[in-house]
Amino acid sequence: MALYNFKKIMVVPTSKEFIDITLSKTQRKTPTVVHKHYQIHRIRHFYMRKVKFTQQNYHDRLTQILTDFPKLDDIHPFYADLMNVLYDKDHYKLALGQINIAKNLIDNVAKDYVRLMKYGDSLYRCKQLKRAALGRMCTILKRQKQSLEYLEQVRQHLSRLPTIDPNTRTLLLCGYPNVGKSSFINKVTRADVEVQPYAFTTKSLFVGHMDYKYLRWQVVDTPGILDHPLEERNTIEMQAITALAHLRSAILYVMDVSEQCGHTLAQQLHLFNGIRPLFASKPLIVVANKCDVKKISELPEENQQIFQDLLSEGIPVIETSTLTEEGVMQVKTEACDKLLTFRVDSKMKGKKVHDVLNRLHLAVPNKRDNKERPPFIPEGAALRKKAMEVDAPKRKLERDLELELGDDYILDLQKYWDLMNAEEKQDKIPEIWEGHNIADYIDPDIMKKLEDLEREEELRERAGEYESDSESEDEEMQEIRQLASQIREKRKLKILQSREKDTMGPRMPRTAKKVDRATLEKEMTGLGLDMEDKDESHYAEVARRSRSVAKKRKRDASEAPTSRTRSQSTSSRPPRDQSGLRDVKVHTHTHTHHRPVRPPRREDGEEDEADDEELSEGHEPGWPQGRVRPPHLQPQAQTPARRQEEEWQHQPAINTHTHTHTHTHTSSASSPNTCSQARGRVAAPAGDKHTHTHTHTHTHTHTHTHTHTPLQPQAQTPARRQEEEWQHQPAINTHTHTHTHTHTHTSSASSPNTCSQARGRVAAPTSDKHTHTHTHTHN
Amino acid sequence: MPQNEHIELHRKRHGYRLDHHERKRKKESREAHERSHKARKMIGLKAKLYHKQRHAEKIQMKKTLKMHEQRKSKQKDDEKTPEGAVPAYLLDREGQSRAKVLSNMIKQKRKEKAGKWEVPLPKVRAQGETEVLKVVRTGKRQKKAWKRMVTKVCFVGDGFTRKPPKYERFIRPMGLRFKKAHVTHPELKATFCLPILGVKKNPSSPLYTTLGVITKGTVVEVNVSELGLVTGGNVIWGKYAQVTNNPENDGCINAVLLV
Repeated sequence: MALYNFKKIMVVPTSKEFIDITLSKTQRKTPTVVHKHYQIHRIRHFYMRKVKFTQQNYHDRLTQILTDFPKLDDIHPFYADLMNVLYDKDHYKLALGQINIAKNLIDNVAKDYVRLMKYGDSLYRCKQLKRAALGRMCTILKRQKQSLEYLEQVRQHLSRLPTIDPNTRTLLLCGYPNVGKSSFINKVTRADVEVQPYAFTTKSLFVGHMDYKYLRWQVVDTPGILDHPLEERNTIEMQAITALAHLRSAILYVMDVSEQCGHTLAQQLHLFNGIRPLFASKPLIVVANKCDVKKISELPEENQQIFQDLLSEGIPVIETSTLTEEGVMQVKTEACDKLLTFRVDSKMKGKKVHDVLNRLHLAVPNKRDNKERPPFIPEGAALRKKAMEVDAPKRKLERDLELELGDDYILDLQKYWDLMNAEEKQDKIPEIWEGHNIADYIDPDIMKKLEDLEREEELRERAGEYESDSESEDEEMQEIRQLASQIREKRKLKILQSREKDTMGPRMPRTAKKVDRATLEKEMTGLGLDMEDKDESHYAEVARRSRSVAKKRKRDASEAPTSRTRSQSTSSRPPRDQSGLRDVKVHTHTHTHHRPVRPPRREDGEEDEADDEELSEGHEPGWPQGRVRPPHLQPQAQTPARRQEEEWQHQPAINTHTHTHTHTHTSSASSPNTCSQARGRVAAPAGDKHTHTHTHTHTHTHTHTHTHTPLQPQAQTPARRQEEEWQHQPAINTHTHTHTHTHTHTSSASSPNTCSQARGRVAAPTSDKHTHTHTHTHN
Repeated sequence: MPQNEHIELHRKRHGYRLDHHERKRKKESREAHERSHKARKMIGLKAKLYHKQRHAEKIQMKKTLKMHEQRKSKQKDDEKTPEGAVPAYLLDREGQSRAKVLSNMIKQKRKEKAGKWEVPLPKVRAQGETEVLKVVRTGKRQKKAWKRMVTKVCFVGDGFTRKPPKYERFIRPMGLRFKKAHVTHPELKATFCLPILGVKKNPSSPLYTTLGVITKGTVVEVNVSELGLVTGGNVIWGKYAQVTNNPENDGCINAVLLV
């Protein structure tokens, strides 16, 4: 049986709070907007959800209460009895039962109303039903007001009960009131129980803990018991009786030898005999307390006889005094020992013990003869031990040093370092940051240089270099200053003016107010600005422009048409090459800039590598000699039938020397079935002059034009187009010259199998020591 | 004092803090301000609830204040006033004329004659057919509309079995069938949950009466044998009661016993 945790019970709200919590939760956590024109099932669902949600909340909360509170049948009989004594079992059970009934009623109400709501035909009706349902649930709960209040009180009291473990090792103090039970517990534990010189100072159970034999012991102090029948006992006494009856413990029956408690020894003995059945099969000790006032030996004969009888029954009687602490420890050890042996014995009787005992075996050899066989200790060990005992001068601790030196003390741990070479202990350790010794980067002469600079500065100052002389300011500056002061003055005036004006309180600023040019210019001239000839200024231009018209480029004056005008032409339409063009300028522009669709016809009608090679060196077909080509059109030399473009752009990233490789590949692909062509390419020409010198300031630019030679030069169909763009982007080059080339290969192939072209390339030029890593990404 | 009551224990041993009472007094006197501040800050449902609560508190406070004041202030002494004394503004009025009394009596009698039952709710809003009956479409193409479903609470006798769907013109859904009513005895001023025996009359329409539709104002017969009413040695077990609420909106039937 697990020990019940009474401290974890959730707070039980009062019925009013309960209702408020639940309803506001419903309001918060369910949708709140519904309209008449919604579909009827949406409305129904809306209200059903509210009803169900409320019911669920009530249900959960009530179930929580029911599960939190301990069931009297489930908990240890000690606690069950104690709760019966303190809270009245019937009342307790009734309250929980009521809560359970309320829970079921609420569930039923919700069920009924949800069913009725299925037939709700209007928002009004659904809403009324919801209202009625929630109202009824709340009424049910309102009726549980008293149960809830009672349970809350029980909860508070329960949570403050001392945590007594009924199964652990326990010493239980009992006896008449005011005999010194609480004083005893205060002596042996840290319970801090109140001690007063009147009866029933202790009104409830108190628990304290102590250590003995490395075990934890629990000491329970009970309220005093009077000598009368069980039925007449009050709640306070009943707590003690409950503890006596149900705790498996060692009983310390405390008696007041001095009879200061107001009860004679005979009465105390009578009580002892009265509650004796409760001590059955428990270790028992009689504590004769207050022996500092009177000892047993000082008692009259008949009273001494009482103790004699107890002793003869086998019950130990120990004289104690909680005042002088005489015998207290004795009682403690005796009781603990007795209880321990008792518990071990009772465990030995049990069944479970065999499982453990089976595994235990302690061999105790019999004595053979009378020969002494002491444990063998080697000579050396004995000597060493002896040597250790000699008090050699102890090492001086840092603490001693600190005390000795006082304020001068500095903690120096370096002197304890164990190095090969003891002189190195105090050496300075270089500070290393990212593999660099910081000291290397510090100019040893920095201080000297600084001093020099300062001296120079001083000289300069003395020479009067920094003295500001107003004369040196030129006229222009003076003018500016004057203007500035004028502006400032004006501004101040304006602020003052607006302050005087601003009696109506703050208003929204009219920032969008239009200021016409004349006003602006007048104003600015007033402030001293030159406002002549401002026709070209931005504000003037903006003012001229109407709002709706976007700023456009001015149209050129239309030139006279070169050809016949439209009116004169026989056709009503303009010629095709002119239609849609605005004016002559645009016309000429388009004509000069448009890409030639067709290159000039070749005479031989054949194109081969040699051609390409040659072209790459000098000129390209389709472009007249001497004309500057736009850079993006650089590598083309294609007929409309076969368009295969490849652009390689090498863009080496940040480096002290920049390579700009522009590889131009003109490749001609073959017929559709020869997709898996093996292409051998030389990415960098063999004769490349990559001479990398390690001087950082060196910059060279390469422009290569590569010619790509396909294996099968041949007739291409116009359908087959292949464009390839390769971009080489070598990453940051280090001096080790590891170039990483990333080829982004973009090929828009017409047939799917062209993608899987295996391309063997000789990437690294032989004459160069670059290592090229090519990564081809085929898109 | 039980264990674990640390604050009390401390107080017992060391007493209160020196300024405890002063602080307490201040806190208490400040509380009204705090609460009013809170009331002003709150919004929404919480505010509504809180204002309601404060309102009730204030009324209560005013009442108690008044009660305390009554003890001090002079009260009107009923014993001193002579019999038949009239306030000044009524002094010139004559007593009720005889003719008026007569006419009133006749009116009363006519009224009594008119109504067969003297019922608590003499006037009831008529329930239209569209309100009570919902058309249920039938047929393969859902174009026949001869079937009706009752959408109000109704009473169906114990032995009722539904007709086969082909012939069932009026459907009374299980969810809307009620068997019990909360009946208030007007003289005893007590309410009982009694089983319904039948619907005597639904004032809106005889059709509703036959169907057992229960709306506001319907007279139902309830089983009062539990109450043990006796007339001339016979225990009455059936008695009429008029429904006083809208059962379809409230989810329960409330009725007043007609005695």
